[in-house]
Amino acid sequence: MSSVAATVPAAAGGFPGRQWSRGMVISLTALAVLAPILLILYQSLLDAPFFDQAAKPGFGAYRFIFDDPDFWSAAKNSCFIAVGMALIAVPLGAALAFLMVRTDLPGQRWLEPLLLIPVFVSPMVLSFGYVVAAGPVGFYSVWFSDLFGGVPWNVYSLTSIAVIAGLTHVPHVYLYASAALKNLGSDVEEAARMSGASPLRVALDVSLPMVMPALLYSAVLVFFLGFEIFGLALVLGDPEGHLVLATYLYKLTNKLGTPSYHLMAAVAVCIIAVTVPLVMLQRHLMKNAAKYVSVKGKAGRQRPLPLGAWRWLAAALIAGWLVVTVLVPLSGIALRSVVNYWGEGVSLVDVLTLDHFRTVFGQPALMRGIWNTVLIGTIGGGLAVICYTAIGLATHRQPDGWSRFVDYLVLVPRAVPGLLAGLAFLWVFLFIPFLSPLRSTIFAVWLAYTVVWLAYGLRLVSSSLLQVGAELEEAARSAGASRARTSRDVTLPLIRHGLLASWLLVFMIFEREYSTAVYLLNPGTEVIGSLLVSLWATGGADMVAALSVINVVLVAVGLGVALRFGVKLHD
Amino acid sequence: MIKLNVDDLHLSYGSNAILKGVSMQLSRGEVVSLLGPSGSGKTTLLRAVAGLEQPHRGSIRIDGQNVFDGATKLEVPAERRNLGLVFQSYALWPHKTVFENVAYGLILRKTGKEAIAEKVMSALKNLGLGQLAERYPHQLSGGQQQRVAIARALVYNPPVILLDEPLSNLDAKMREEARAWLRELILKLQLSALVVTHDQNEAMAMSDRILLLSEGRIEQQGTPQEMYGNPRTLFCADFMGNNNRIEGRVAERRDGAALLAGEGWQLWGRACGDNAGASGTGMIRLERVRLADGPGENRLRLPLVTSMYLGDRWEYLFHEGELRFRAYGHEPIIAGEHWIEMPRDDLWIF
Repeated sequence: MSSVAATVPAAAGGFPGRQWSRGMVISLTALAVLAPILLILYQSLLDAPFFDQAAKPGFGAYRFIFDDPDFWSAAKNSCFIAVGMALIAVPLGAALAFLMVRTDLPGQRWLEPLLLIPVFVSPMVLSFGYVVAAGPVGFYSVWFSDLFGGVPWNVYSLTSIAVIAGLTHVPHVYLYASAALKNLGSDVEEAARMSGASPLRVALDVSLPMVMPALLYSAVLVFFLGFEIFGLALVLGDPEGHLVLATYLYKLTNKLGTPSYHLMAAVAVCIIAVTVPLVMLQRHLMKNAAKYVSVKGKAGRQRPLPLGAWRWLAAALIAGWLVVTVLVPLSGIALRSVVNYWGEGVSLVDVLTLDHFRTVFGQPALMRGIWNTVLIGTIGGGLAVICYTAIGLATHRQPDGWSRFVDYLVLVPRAVPGLLAGLAFLWVFLFIPFLSPLRSTIFAVWLAYTVVWLAYGLRLVSSSLLQVGAELEEAARSAGASRARTSRDVTLPLIRHGLLASWLLVFMIFEREYSTAVYLLNPGTEVIGSLLVSLWATGGADMVAALSVINVVLVAVGLGVALRFGVKLHD
Repeated sequence: MIKLNVDDLHLSYGSNAILKGVSMQLSRGEVVSLLGPSGSGKTTLLRAVAGLEQPHRGSIRIDGQNVFDGATKLEVPAERRNLGLVFQSYALWPHKTVFENVAYGLILRKTGKEAIAEKVMSALKNLGLGQLAERYPHQLSGGQQQRVAIARALVYNPPVILLDEPLSNLDAKMREEARAWLRELILKLQLSALVVTHDQNEAMAMSDRILLLSEGRIEQQGTPQEMYGNPRTLFCADFMGNNNRIEGRVAERRDGAALLAGEGWQLWGRACGDNAGASGTGMIRLERVRLADGPGENRLRLPLVTSMYLGDRWEYLFHEGELRFRAYGHEPIIAGEHWIEMPRDDLWIF
């Protein structure tokens, strides 16, 4: 070995450059996250919209909404729905997880992706599906009353909203509970079996307490999502006038006729005041849950618990849940998109038509919406993953104050429901003069989407990053590579599959998203989600059905690709 | 010529002090082992030298250049220290071939393409990996992966090569072969190496000098012979070999010798360390205990509990009351009481 120059060229270092780009990434993130929320806070403390020259600071907005009985009834409804959702989703999700992970339930392999469908289908589409399938003149309602002379359900009641919300959030609980069960070493259960406990006792005495932290976490999550509910309450709550906080905020404009930004901001602050503590609680619980899992024994081969004859009952229950939460709304919407009208005494064959799709394809605004939705999912999703990766790398294995700052920073968008985030971004674009031309471009929607899903995307990316062994990077550092060079030559090539999978998941999430785009809807910024909300308001049921089907197809394409390439839909 | 100089290095994780003032030197062509139980700070010291951990006091000089100085807040990042580091897990990049793994350091040093090919191939040949250049790490055996990791750390001729538990991922039998091979390689290439290990046999076999660490401090340093044959502290004596330990009171001290006594027995030994108290601990290597044919000085009569066959020898266990001795021998001995001797010079009393 001759003398390779014992000096490393200084150019290979680039250490200051790296810090510079890191600071840049972190400050841009902070700006994108904090500017909207601070603007909401500022606006809520004015007594008129911020663009009004006469706006003065004061608590007038809060006083107004606190005096409004509708606000209190909306708040009560939100609580009712959130509690109901948690009560329904947590036990069902936990039972589902147990059946899927620990027993010999038939058909687990093809059941798994089906269980996750409600997560990936827009709540707007689902709720519209319930209206056309099980509403007073829905397909199934009409067929049912033809047979039995009446229907025992009413999808417009507050209880129905809570039940439907609960059923559609079962997968959220299932994801956390099944992950916890999979992590739980079988040895602790075997130890209980050896001490003489029956399978049921094992489930109740050992498995359940050990996954309790995960269940508690998902209960808080579902409760928190209950406060965010918008589409479901907008579509199903409207006929009987049930408002929740998000729909109350949405309807404020109609109420006064004038732009009442200060009132909306005050409601937004109230919602955030509920969600922020919940997010902090979740974070706390997550840490505890992780502590619990770290005592795991050997995970791995577990003998599934034989269910015996019960397996068919269990399978039937799961099938029933799938029928109610997936099949009924989706089949309803598919049917509705190909019929002219529907009601009692109408024969299906007489009213079949493809006109709705023709109309959609004929309207430039709707076509633009579809095109934008595709773009925002593919290119926008890709760009979002690039942003998330940049943020992930900026904090990767650098446990310092800046990383902790980013850690807390990403909690902020999680606590802000999409509807409010969209509103806040609208204001940012109105408030900051040089940004306003961007308001009518799809960039506005992309930025809002990217920030709203920051925590989700960052978690996808950092779970890939954490799989790269620290010593692989340290080996590159000691071979002479700077941090930036190490990221490029070692870290990024190793996580490329993870990043592609993240792109796919972000694609599906962006296809599904609707509430964030509602306030950003402009000629040029249409996406299917926001079009659904606005068309629903103007009663365009035909268009809504056709667009919903297109939306579901787009998500299904993503899901199909994900399943084809074996992308894990959850961790 | 001093290749590596560490002076009064302090490092802590939060309020938990890991290194509490460590100083050491490594000369050209010398192999130094950092030995110690887990948690003693040996790996941390190695990583601090590599630039992967951040000390808060002291200084590190590599090849005459300051790379860390707590006083002037100087800290050269890991990539500019020009060291070769072999990881315990080898840390081969799974997305690069063997050739690319080894060539990476040269690419970063802007070496020409032909020179890279030449140097990499000669390094691989040196380590007996000539045919494996195009393979990926997962296609190699553990021993081959270790050689690639070493080639990767050597190829750009670092002034010092750091090895973190280089043999611990090999199975027991291969480890001894690899030990001899590694020692041969180090001598052949005249490397200056700092090796972390927790295995005292490995440390003794591979290195010119051993640094024994305990709780963030250097307990004792010296050649393997000094460390094994002349330990200055009880910790060092205990760590370096297989020992019998006898607790008792010190009845008498005279001319560098001490008399350790207990219930019905007394033994003369070498007074070690700076203990001047009334109680002491006797320590004698298993292989120094001898079977004797009758009574005499420093002899005890004890019942045999069991003999264990170890293949190349027997190990006997004697036990009565507070006295418990293990000894080696070449033939099985019959049950009952035996005389055993603790030679005066081999029994250390701390």
